[in-house]
Amino acid sequence: MKNLLRLHTSLKEEIEIALNAQVKMEAEASHKYQAMASWLEQNGYEHSANYLYRQADEERAHSLKIFRYINEMGGSAITPAVGEVTLDFTSFRSVFEAALQSEIAVTHAINRIVGKCRQVDDYATESFMMWFVNEQREEERNARRALELCDLIEETGTGKYTLDKEIAKISAEEE
Amino acid sequence: MHAQSYQTELYKNERGVTWQCDLTNTIVIDFEPFRIRLRLPDFNTFRRKVNGIDIRAMLFDLSDAADYQVLEAPKAQSAYRLTLCELIQLRDLLNGTRFALELSSLLHETLGEIVITD
Repeated sequence: MKNLLRLHTSLKEEIEIALNAQVKMEAEASHKYQAMASWLEQNGYEHSANYLYRQADEERAHSLKIFRYINEMGGSAITPAVGEVTLDFTSFRSVFEAALQSEIAVTHAINRIVGKCRQVDDYATESFMMWFVNEQREEERNARRALELCDLIEETGTGKYTLDKEIAKISAEEE
Repeated sequence: MHAQSYQTELYKNERGVTWQCDLTNTIVIDFEPFRIRLRLPDFNTFRRKVNGIDIRAMLFDLSDAADYQVLEAPKAQSAYRLTLCELIQLRDLLNGTRFALELSSLLHETLGEIVITD
């Protein structure tokens, strides 16, 4: 009797489920960033809106990267259904607080996948996920930096304008 | 049955039986009223579809339409009208089959090169 399961895929079912859940989470993160960017754009924060639109693209790329990995390994990637996201925010700062919360949740989810990979000896997926571990370190740093800038620059006078421009420079700082 | 040499029974319940065919690397699902042969990815998709049916909602829905579910078999270009009981039995058959496949895979990994026979 052949090992039919192994002939078709090197992914254990629990890893495949976890990866598909991560595809959905990254897609949701992309939608969240898009909603945040839209709010910023509507409120005149053009530069930081552009920054968050780029973040939305990045999250979408992350989702696709995992999606394609699942198929590459013989699994079945599932196109995720993404639910409603928050469209309204109370302040400029609350947008970036929500962004940090979202990044922290993604980091936890990625760490849990790495933990699962170790439990089932799936070193290929663990190695693949390490790229995301490093990426999340950067993402969290960027989200914290945005909040730091909110603390440093007062939103009075031309402060809002300066804040908008400085936050847009965050991704350039890391390069 | 002459096909026994390359077909291995995976799981059986009151309503049906599944086989692994080593000649075509497929899973044969024999479930009255249908018999289909699926590749593993299609089997997984089919199982996910059946597991995704909200049995509880069907139970509590008093309309006639909730007494059955129309189910399409992957790549079979045919649809079947299954009652609630049939759906539960089909779900059991598919999940039992998946378990048998995982057990077989685990045994292969654990026993390494030792050949597993029926």
